[in-house]
Amino acid sequence: MGTFIQQIINGLSLGSVYALIAVGYSLVYSILLFSNFAHGGFLVIGGYICYYTLNLMGANIWLAGFAALIGAGFCAVLTERLAYKPIRERTSVTLYLLIASMGMSIVIENLFVIIAGGRFRALPPVIPTAPVDLFGLATTSAFDLLSLAAAVVFLGGLQLFLTRTKWGLAIRAAAYDLRVAGLMGVNVGRLISIVFFVAGLLAAVGGIFLSVRYTLYPQLGAITIKAFVAAVIGGLGSLPGAVVGSLILGLAEMLTAGFLSSQLRDLVVFSLLVITLIVRPSGLFGKDIKEKV
Amino acid sequence: MTDSQTPLLSVRNLCVSYGAIKAVQNVSIDVFAGEIVSVIGANGAGKSTLMSAVMGDVRRESGDVFLDGKVLAKKSFQVVTQGLSLAPEGRKVFAPLTVFENLMMGAFPRNDRSGIDDDLKRVFTLFPRLEERREQYAGTLSGGEQQMLAIGRALMSRPRVLLLDEPSLGLAPIIIKEIFRELKLINEQGTTILLVEQNARQALLLSHRAYVLQTGHLIKEGLSADLLRDPDIEAAYLGGGHRKL
Repeated sequence: MGTFIQQIINGLSLGSVYALIAVGYSLVYSILLFSNFAHGGFLVIGGYICYYTLNLMGANIWLAGFAALIGAGFCAVLTERLAYKPIRERTSVTLYLLIASMGMSIVIENLFVIIAGGRFRALPPVIPTAPVDLFGLATTSAFDLLSLAAAVVFLGGLQLFLTRTKWGLAIRAAAYDLRVAGLMGVNVGRLISIVFFVAGLLAAVGGIFLSVRYTLYPQLGAITIKAFVAAVIGGLGSLPGAVVGSLILGLAEMLTAGFLSSQLRDLVVFSLLVITLIVRPSGLFGKDIKEKV
Repeated sequence: MTDSQTPLLSVRNLCVSYGAIKAVQNVSIDVFAGEIVSVIGANGAGKSTLMSAVMGDVRRESGDVFLDGKVLAKKSFQVVTQGLSLAPEGRKVFAPLTVFENLMMGAFPRNDRSGIDDDLKRVFTLFPRLEERREQYAGTLSGGEQQMLAIGRALMSRPRVLLLDEPSLGLAPIIIKEIFRELKLINEQGTTILLVEQNARQALLLSHRAYVLQTGHLIKEGLSADLLRDPDIEAAYLGGGHRKL
């Protein structure tokens, strides 16, 4: 029983990190309708900014985290301006954006191979990892609880931004129809920049927690494939779907690792993807728009 | 309307192409303050393209658009800020947003809280059904209600010229009548209207002046009352004119 509760908490913690990544990815998808494969790059950028501000500048985790979030946000906006905007302005074929994003993902990864080297780096012990006793029922680590808490805070913040602000409303409208949002007087270029900034920022939060969990290296962004799977299971373009899909995936991984074998983790993940695509291709919260024609 | 004043909205020699297809060629239209002007024409005549080009949603290949004598911006969001707004063809309401949120989207460029509240009241007075369905998702509204919402949403930016693209499309005659009655009222309250319509009879009955667009060219213009009696127009667009109005 103890192991079960423990694995549930571990699963929710891992799933919450996936959710931070999947939500940003899904947000970009909902506006521009393409899978941004450079999304993993944003979390690597966040991880390295955090690493270097901690190590070189001796900053505390709050300052380093802040720098990582803002830095990754700006890099995401820059990626959009450099690689996607010129394509967006010339064509409405989203396949080109997808290909450009694959290119950008390689560019970002190799930039870090050149700048930082390919080796694995451990973040200084800035996030407590001490074991925590949960009312005698199970033991978990402070790190798992913290990453869960951070995800709740940031996803809650995103929810407030989307439902309580003018630009949040515009983003929800644009997710339905970008052109008509433009006709309402929304500066579409600025809206897309805001979306990429938010996506980059959330990815950086995930990146910091992943660097602590798995160490930091230029290919860490490849883990985005899990967030991608989570987003598809939840329904591409749906934010609640991305969160639920991520939690399901985190739980599935940790329960497999706890009770079967940790080598079967990825097998279970991709089986879930295949089952979703067969049974319900639009995902759990897929867009089946209730609209009268 | 006297021709001596400067038009509020003036389209000069506008051309728009989609690749090799010339959708709008050398079109010039004037709309004076307080008027309702309609552009009628068959399906594919270039009416929607004309509206999209004025709004900056489609690139203007050549020609100019002036609002109050000043050159109109090229991007949609700037055009809206300058004082035009469009209720697009097919309504295009934001289905997953509520009626209220749709209307707030219409007011996006504005920051004057009390002014927005006034316009919200105005829209709810014009279309009481929208107030009843204020918190309902726009996608669940009937076609007529969606059209009312599209018009209300366009009014929320308090436009100097309201552009309407086929407001009668796909609606029952009784709903069309209701909507056109409200359009007349909106105009009487001081909003200048430019309307494009396939439903030529309704458009001519509502508007002061009209233009006839055919395969991208303007072929006729005049007072709507005169065009209603024009035998060519009657044969081509009014179904022979045997129907009682």
